[in-house]
Amino acid sequence: MIKDITIGQYFNGNSVLHRLDARMKIVLTVAFIVSIFFCKNFWSLGLMVLFTIQTVIISRVPLKMVLKSIKPIAIIVVFTSLLNIFYISGGTTLVDGRYIDITTNGIFTALFMATRIVCLVVISSMLTYTTTPTMLTDAIEKLLSPLKIFKIPVSTLAMMMTLALRFIPTLIDEIDRITNAQKARGANLDDGNFIQRIKALVPIIVPLFVSSLRRAIELADAMDCRCYGGPGRTRMKQMKLRFRDFAALAIMVAFIAGIIVLNYYFGAVLIK
Amino acid sequence: MPILSAKGVAHLYNKGTPSQSKAIYDINIDIEEGELVGIIGHTGSGKSTLVQHFNGILKPECGQIIVDGTDIWSSKKATREARFKVGLCFQYPEYQLFEETVYKDISFGPKNMGLSEEEIDKRVQLAAEYVGLPKSLLDKSPFDLSGGEKRRAAIAGVIAMQPKVLILDEPTAGLDPRGRDKILEMIKSYREKTGSTVLLVSHSMEDVAKIATKVLVMNNARVEMYGTVDEIYSRSEELREIGLNVPQVSKIFEILKKSGLNIGSAYTVEKAAERILSLGGASV
Ligand SMILES: Nc1ncnc2c1ncn2[C@@H]1O[C@H](COP(=O)(O)OP(=O)(O)OP(=O)(O)O)[C@@H](O)[C@H]1O
Ligand SMILES: [Mg+2]
Repeated sequence: MIKDITIGQYFNGNSVLHRLDARMKIVLTVAFIVSIFFCKNFWSLGLMVLFTIQTVIISRVPLKMVLKSIKPIAIIVVFTSLLNIFYISGGTTLVDGRYIDITTNGIFTALFMATRIVCLVVISSMLTYTTTPTMLTDAIEKLLSPLKIFKIPVSTLAMMMTLALRFIPTLIDEIDRITNAQKARGANLDDGNFIQRIKALVPIIVPLFVSSLRRAIELADAMDCRCYGGPGRTRMKQMKLRFRDFAALAIMVAFIAGIIVLNYYFGAVLIK
Repeated sequence: MPILSAKGVAHLYNKGTPSQSKAIYDINIDIEEGELVGIIGHTGSGKSTLVQHFNGILKPECGQIIVDGTDIWSSKKATREARFKVGLCFQYPEYQLFEETVYKDISFGPKNMGLSEEEIDKRVQLAAEYVGLPKSLLDKSPFDLSGGEKRRAAIAGVIAMQPKVLILDEPTAGLDPRGRDKILEMIKSYREKTGSTVLLVSHSMEDVAKIATKVLVMNNARVEMYGTVDEIYSRSEELREIGLNVPQVSKIFEILKKSGLNIGSAYTVEKAAERILSLGGASV
């Protein structure tokens, strides 16, 4: 169960998406997320879906893994869709119930919402599937480096993020190990009321904290030994924008232009 | 009737994902009451996976685990009972300590069994005595102990449940020779005093030779051999083929035997000394 978490998971590959500069990928992802909320009719929505599918195909990440990233939000999507269908009024009324009406506006809003959320999650997971966590944090550091003027310790924050990402799998393994060890001593984690269940977590959380602290101290010592914190830190891999990055940028610009044109040309689908 | 048996057990890790792997398969084994079984095999041969089946931490993909006559997966109650009948101490158990004092930590298992206060107290004192933890340490925080003491406290936590079968997964890993001998000595005397069955996973064939009555050899996810120490250790050629090395002394004894000396065989230094001395007619 705990192993289903896909955040920060990298899928090893060598597609064009994998080779794009991480900074460009972050900027493009943000641009896409913003453009999602521009779509006003089914034409622009369709373009967005096509773009998303095309991205998945280009990335060569197996469909199974993409679906896995959607799985955790499935409930949210269904729930918001239902709320939208039942509570949004306007447009043609399809069902005239006693307490709830179902209207075309409600159904359209639900459809738009669901498609937007799914596309958003798929595209963001494309970013993490095709970029290693290290590259991702390096890119974030570079993108945020202008903030250094305001004395914000960008490099330190980026290092903290790298370390946090690095230790997620380790912690998950550790939780599994400790849970098994306590189960072997008869710890009962599955039964009992709410309070009892919370109490049953103590034998797992305490050793987890102890070993995490120990690990953090060891890591800090190891970093000290290698002179972390010295001035003028440089990178082994320099990031460089290439032709393909500008090509990707051009495609994104074209895509956003397409959405705006389709919106303007066909008008909004929701009737006020 | 064997106290512990596995019938056609197999286990897969990461089932249904690309990295699915068969950790153990085709496991058929009967372990009689009172034995001290040494489990050996190269790294990744499935020893830890196998022992985690015996108390129901892992559920087999197919096959049955039978403890004391009942299939442990036949009912929820049977699974829970197996946890108490079979005490499993994991590799590096010191990382499971969590209570404020060593005493409280050792009593965690017995408390989960729902025993009375007096009974718990009795068991904690006894368990601490078995593993050689002085009374003065019982009121200390487990995090203030040395590595070897933590290890012993963790083992005491399992022993305090007084399981019919005690399983220790590499209890001597990472300890100095003296700490190792202490733990081995403790395991041996525990079995002699209580008559319980003990399974000891180990990388050291010397350690197993010192205290085991039976040996189980794992190789490539299967049980390769199971028999008495003499039976198994005499098959040194086969053992070497699967990446295990018989103890140095037994190698010497093999060579001596080949050169025509009627000296028998020995797998531990103590035994070897005895044999050599008896050769000269003297006694130890
Ligand atoms: N949690 C896990 N997830 C996936 N595979 C695992 C897991 N635990 C073990 N394995 C795999 O199962 C196989 C058997 O592992 P196991 O831990 O039982 O070996 P072992 O004999 O105890 O080794 P060692 O002597 O190093 O402790 C190995 O190939 C290992 O890679
Ligand atoms: Mg192991």
